[in-house]
Amino acid sequence: MKTSDLLWRIFAAACCLFMVSPLVILILFCFSDKAVISFPIEGLTTAWWAELFSRREFWKSLGNSAIVAGTVGAATTLFGTMAAFSLARMHPRAAGVTMALLTLPVMLPPLVLGLTLLSFFSGLEIRLGLQTVILAHLVFTQPFVILVVHARMSRFDFAVVNSARDLGASPLRAFTSVTLPLIRPTIIGAAMIAMALSLDDFIVTFFTIGGGNTLPTFLWGMLRKGANPQINIVGFLLMSLTICASLIAFRVTRYRG
Amino acid sequence: MMDWLRRHLPFVLPSTTIFLFCFAAPVAYFFVMSFWQIKSYRLSTDPTAHNYIEVWTDYFSSLWYTFAVASVIGLAVTTVAFGFAYFIRFKAGRWGTPLLFVALLTLFGGYLTKIYVWKTILGQSGVLNTALQAIGAIDEPITAFLYNPLAVVITLGHYTLPLAILPIYGALRSVEDVPLRGARDLGARPWRVFKEIVLPQCQAGILFSFTLTFLFAAGDYVTPLLVGGPYTSMMGVIIQHQFGLRFNAPLGAAMAFTVIAVCMIIIGALGLALRQSLKVRA
Repeated sequence: MKTSDLLWRIFAAACCLFMVSPLVILILFCFSDKAVISFPIEGLTTAWWAELFSRREFWKSLGNSAIVAGTVGAATTLFGTMAAFSLARMHPRAAGVTMALLTLPVMLPPLVLGLTLLSFFSGLEIRLGLQTVILAHLVFTQPFVILVVHARMSRFDFAVVNSARDLGASPLRAFTSVTLPLIRPTIIGAAMIAMALSLDDFIVTFFTIGGGNTLPTFLWGMLRKGANPQINIVGFLLMSLTICASLIAFRVTRYRG
Repeated sequence: MMDWLRRHLPFVLPSTTIFLFCFAAPVAYFFVMSFWQIKSYRLSTDPTAHNYIEVWTDYFSSLWYTFAVASVIGLAVTTVAFGFAYFIRFKAGRWGTPLLFVALLTLFGGYLTKIYVWKTILGQSGVLNTALQAIGAIDEPITAFLYNPLAVVITLGHYTLPLAILPIYGALRSVEDVPLRGARDLGARPWRVFKEIVLPQCQAGILFSFTLTFLFAAGDYVTPLLVGGPYTSMMGVIIQHQFGLRFNAPLGAAMAFTVIAVCMIIIGALGLALRQSLKVRA
């Protein structure tokens, strides 16, 4: 093997190690029986899990996260898909402008988005709570849905829909029996990405929730109180949920880079 | 026009409403607010540019520091991401798919978790120190890992690396093999093939990756707060303080718009420079 090939392999291996090792360390310390997070690991235990699962706030914040991610996932997928449908039938230039506008929120750092929403809602005296969190999540998840569904619609063969219409199908019937089955994987994938983003968001949620907790803000509260092995488990759960959702998304949309 | 609206409006109405109510209006309000002023604990809504002047005079060093750190992260992450994507596309062979999978695995999610894990890895009695002590490499824990700019670079680099790999890989994947082989057969050196065929075709992907990482690093506040230590006063932390302890939202708004404006200028300039330097001589 040439030296340059060897160097390339070492580089790629180092990159993988850098990306994956924190995840491995996290999983390892979910089961370490020491209260501090350090080597050497002396024994394994599931006691931290039992302790976490007996806390009411944990279940409450998990429930809130489920409400937010579920509502955001359903609403943003519906709204984003509708917009993407319309964009696919627009003149390319009009579609380009509309798309650029609607995807603009992604370019704003989450801190700035969170603070603008906090100022705006308190200026209008809108009460903060899960409803404002849901609104905030809709605005930064819908660009992803629009981009993903629009990418699929631009390769969509509208001739099949037109023939269904020519054969007498109503617009709704043509949609449910022709269009929807064809693009269903893309829509499921887009919903999964939106839910992963919503579930994992800390910054925007932190500024728009007022009182109460979702899983990330619950984790933040634990972090502020100092080292506690339960933190590892909440972090691990949060990470596994988002990774599962995004892997399903890549699988159903057959994403390959 | 009316016909166009009647056809498209019902479909784009929900997403446009969300966009207007939760993005356009709040940003506009925030912009107006940045010209207000807090005078002896009272809000004055007479428009003044005072906040912007204060940002450039009193917070100039933090501004400079923020963009220095963000540039280091942007450049380092984009370079490593390019190397990794290049390896997957041209050198890895059948290992390409598993390597891409590693990047996808760590792409979405775990923002807070990742920052926290790096804190526990780099800490004084953390994973790295105790592991080094256990194998006998060091006697005393090294305190220099955590609470410094390097810790911020490592932590944010870890979070943004997968985000940066994918756009570059997407661009490299559409580079075709035939012209590369043709250039090589005609006697072009590897460096020239790389610079004149590969790079120009993926400059949009490179710029996109840099934009993502740079913006993310310039706007983040949790990372400097948790692993950055007392001397790393990045703008994100200072902005967030204006809405909490300092109670000066107008100044915070002016800071936010200043950071965004400087980001846009830097990214725009970089895009122009990239296009100029990669222009193939006729």
